[in-house]
Formats: sequence, C-alpha cells, structure tokens
Amino acid sequence: MISPLLKVTNLSKSYDNIVGCKNISMSLYPGEVLGIVGESGSGKTTLINCLSGNLEPDRGKIIFNINNKETNFLNISESEKRKFIRTDLAFVHQNPRDGLRLNVSAGGNIGEKLMSVGNRHYGNIRSLATKWMDKVEIDKSRIDDLPITFSGGMLQRLQIAKNLITSPNVIFMDEPTGGLDVSVQARVLDLIRSLVNELNLTVIIVSHDLAVIRLLADKMIVMKNGTVIESGLSDQVLEDPQQEYTQLLVSSVLHV
Amino acid sequence: MRKTNNVIKIKDFKVGKGLPFDQEYNFAYLDENTKKMIRRAIIKALCIPGYQVPFASREMPMPYGWGTGGVQVTASCLTKKDTLKIIDQGADDTTNAVSIRNFFKKTSNIKTTEITEKATLIQTRHRIPETPLKKKQIFVYQVPIPEPLAFLEPKVSETIKMHSLSEYGAMHVKLYEDISKNGHIETAYAYPVKTNDRYIMDPSPIPKFDNPKMNNSPAIQLFGAGREQRIYAIPPYTKVKSLDFEDYPFDPFKAEHACDICGATNTYLDEIIVDDAGNKSFICSDTDFCNKRKNK
Repeated sequence: MISPLLKVTNLSKSYDNIVGCKNISMSLYPGEVLGIVGESGSGKTTLINCLSGNLEPDRGKIIFNINNKETNFLNISESEKRKFIRTDLAFVHQNPRDGLRLNVSAGGNIGEKLMSVGNRHYGNIRSLATKWMDKVEIDKSRIDDLPITFSGGMLQRLQIAKNLITSPNVIFMDEPTGGLDVSVQARVLDLIRSLVNELNLTVIIVSHDLAVIRLLADKMIVMKNGTVIESGLSDQVLEDPQQEYTQLLVSSVLHV
Repeated sequence: MRKTNNVIKIKDFKVGKGLPFDQEYNFAYLDENTKKMIRRAIIKALCIPGYQVPFASREMPMPYGWGTGGVQVTASCLTKKDTLKIIDQGADDTTNAVSIRNFFKKTSNIKTTEITEKATLIQTRHRIPETPLKKKQIFVYQVPIPEPLAFLEPKVSETIKMHSLSEYGAMHVKLYEDISKNGHIETAYAYPVKTNDRYIMDPSPIPKFDNPKMNNSPAIQLFGAGREQRIYAIPPYTKVKSLDFEDYPFDPFKAEHACDICGATNTYLDEIIVDDAGNKSFICSDTDFCNKRKNK
C-alpha cells in the first residue's frame, strides 16, 4: 500500500476572531493532483499558505512523508523548515511577479534554486536553465533578458520553470492562470498538464475556476467558510455534486 | 591625569599642517565608556569571524562616508605606544588620509608613519598595502555598506535570517548575472568572501586584487561601518575565500602594466590621464611601496 505524501489533520487557522480555515483534514498521494475550489474568502489561500509553510497554523498536524521519512512540519526548527521548503516544496504564485526576481535575468531566476541547494558550476546551471526554458516553451535566446520584458503568459511559464527545476516533491499553485487572458490561460494549463503527466508531479492547485480543476485535478475538495464541505474524485464531484453549495457552483459555470 | 572634558574651543579649528595636540580632548577623541562599548563589539566580532555586530555608533566630527566607522574602531584600539598609518586608496597623502591622520595627531598625540612595516595600527580606505601585514598589527577598514546581501534582499530582517541559516544561494545569482552579461565575473571591488567557512562578508570596497591578502593574514582585521552601525572582524590566520563558480574561478584582476614610477609588475595600479590627448600613465596605488622601490 502506498502511504500518503502529505497528511493533514484538524488544521485550523484564524485571524483574530475571523476564521481562515477550520478543522481541515485531508491526504495527498504521490503523483496526485488535488484541486481546492471555493469562493473568495472561503479559506483556500489560507490553507495552501499553511501547507506550504508561508503561514503558521493555530492547531493541527501537517505531516510530509518523503522517501519514507516523516517530517512533522509544525514541529521542526526554523532552519530545518526553510531547508525543507527549499528542497522539497515549490510555490507558484498567482502573480508571477511575486515569485520572480524582476531585476535578475530569466536564466538567473531559473538557476537560483539550483544555486541555493549548492550547485556551483556555471555551465551546468546554464544548460539546465536552457533546457527548462525549452520545456516551458520560452525561446532559448531570451535567457539573458529581464523578466520585465516578458509577457504575462511568459512570466507565468518562467515562474513554473523556476519552481520545477529542482524536482520538488509537492508543488503548490495558487490560481496559476488567474491573471491571464483566456487563450494564454489555455496554453499555460496545457503546459502544466503535460508537465504533470511527463514528470509525475504531485500538485495542490487552488482555483475558483472549475474548468481548471476539471482539466488538471484527479481529486478535489470544495471549501466554504473555512471548512471542507465536499471532497472526492473531481469527475464525481463535478458530475454529481451532493452539497447545495457545490451544486450552485457547478451550475453557475457559463457554457458558451 | 588627562582631562576628560570634551569642550571644543573655536581657536582649535585652525586649518593647516601641524595642528597642536589638544589636551581638552580625551585621548583619541572618544570618551572611555564609548571606547569600552566599541571594544566589546570588536571582541564579539573577533569571536564570530565575519558576523556583523551592531554597536552604538557615535556622531563623529566628520561626515558619514568619510570613515566614521573606521575612525571609531581606530580610536578604541589606540594606545599611547601605537604608531598609526592612514591609507586612502593606497596613498598616504590624499584628503581622507591627511585629515584623519591630523585628527588623531591632534586628539591623541601618538606617532604616525607612512611606512607599513613601522605601523602598529593601520586604518585604510579601499586598499590593503602591498607590503604583507605582520603579526601584532591591527588593520582597520572603513566600510560604507556592511551587508553583502543588501543589493539582493532589501529587508534587514530577512538578511539577518539568511545569515543565521546560511542561506546564501542568492549571492551566487549576482555572480551568475555577471557572467551571463559579461562573460566573466565583472565585480571588481567589494567582492564578497566567505569567512571561516561560515559567514558571507563584504570586504569593504577594496579591489578584488586585494582579496587574497585577507586569507590567513597574521594581522587582526577589523571592519567599522559608522552609518550602518556595524563592526565585523577577521581574526589572525583565518580562512577567507572569495566566492566563485567551479568553472569560473576567482581571478584577482589588475591592469596589464608595470608601474611607470617604480617598474613593479605585481602591484595594483592607478590609471591616470596625463594630458589632453588622453595619454595614460599607470602607477602603484600604494604610495609607500612605490616610494620604497624607487628610492632603492
């Protein structure tokens, strides 16, 4: 039997007396793509920030099991935690400008994670960066250009390359196609889907766009007011929603 | 007993050479408690090579950027038996060197020298002398920006965390950018080093030509940043390594010339435009070293 890569039990986080998320339990298996949906303010981002180490939850357990080594995320020291985040996790922000250094060239951005885990060979860093530019469909000749000269879609693809280069075990994506226009969204989604298949990535993806979830996610959870109200295989949840709120969500998707 | 009264009289502000020793100042300008505080910071800095120790920097009678940090460190280390040498860009006779030397002559009445071997305490701006430093010499650097990560990470709280957890990956991003833009590491001064295999340190704006001289030096090296209120240090015989890539090793660059005055080929040179036609002359930046060779 395969054990879960990530196991969350009774996770709660509130901001003063405003609930961020409450008693969340879930697990994630290797190679799985988990979608988190819900309306604005439902606690999606709070949850993903707690899981990725950006926020300290009030209560609960987050246990990663990577290469048969269990890491209790909330019990380790700051230095261990930062090292773990650096080597085993990756975070793709909604706004690529949050995840990139805009005054550093594309190649430097992609190579930064390699350098931070100790790679000290310029030639190797550069050839890997070039390979990843290719993988995310950015013209290789732009490797020395600054991100500010890139379009929105290219920036997002650059951010994805930057995050995937060290083969992280769990990748968090917060609305990765949020700020993009529809045709560019389709291209980025297509890229993410092919990378997920090719590299067998384990991903937690937050979105309010059910189409994104249907396309990418194997499983999904639906959140409302900080709690999980429904979860299961994404096809199942989307085809046969049980909760009133999920039904509303599914029926409010526009069909052109 | 020396008076500890700090009253400054208008008549003391005479400009010119040979300012008289002024008994109205405490020895080396700073009061004893301040010196004690700075010495404690220095001792801590020596215990943790390359670590930036905060200290309560004082207002000095000179503007920030003129070496207020170095002057405070020097003032705290000076004894009456010391012989002081001040260097500004390698030279003993430029503005910064002359005014700081006069400052210490006036406030402490100690011996000064231009000869590196004879000095027991040397304060420098932007150079390490060509003559190797010796045991029992104290070498004080003036530092404008002590934080080597400042250009990559503007938040001080974050840089402190990066130092404490040895998260130095971003430092190599800067060198990567250099190579990808210029084909080699373009950084020519303030070239970052790793001290004692632990802390990344800004060696102050010395040319990278001088970086190897810091490694395993028998002298005590102290760094004072007055505006930024930081002191850091390299104890004697400490490993200091300049950052680089395996395939782009550190290169202590100098101009491909010999000194036009003394003929030395292994010294750091100043490039001087000598006429309106743009003709150049290259001369040693270390005036003491150059004079000695010329007079031989």
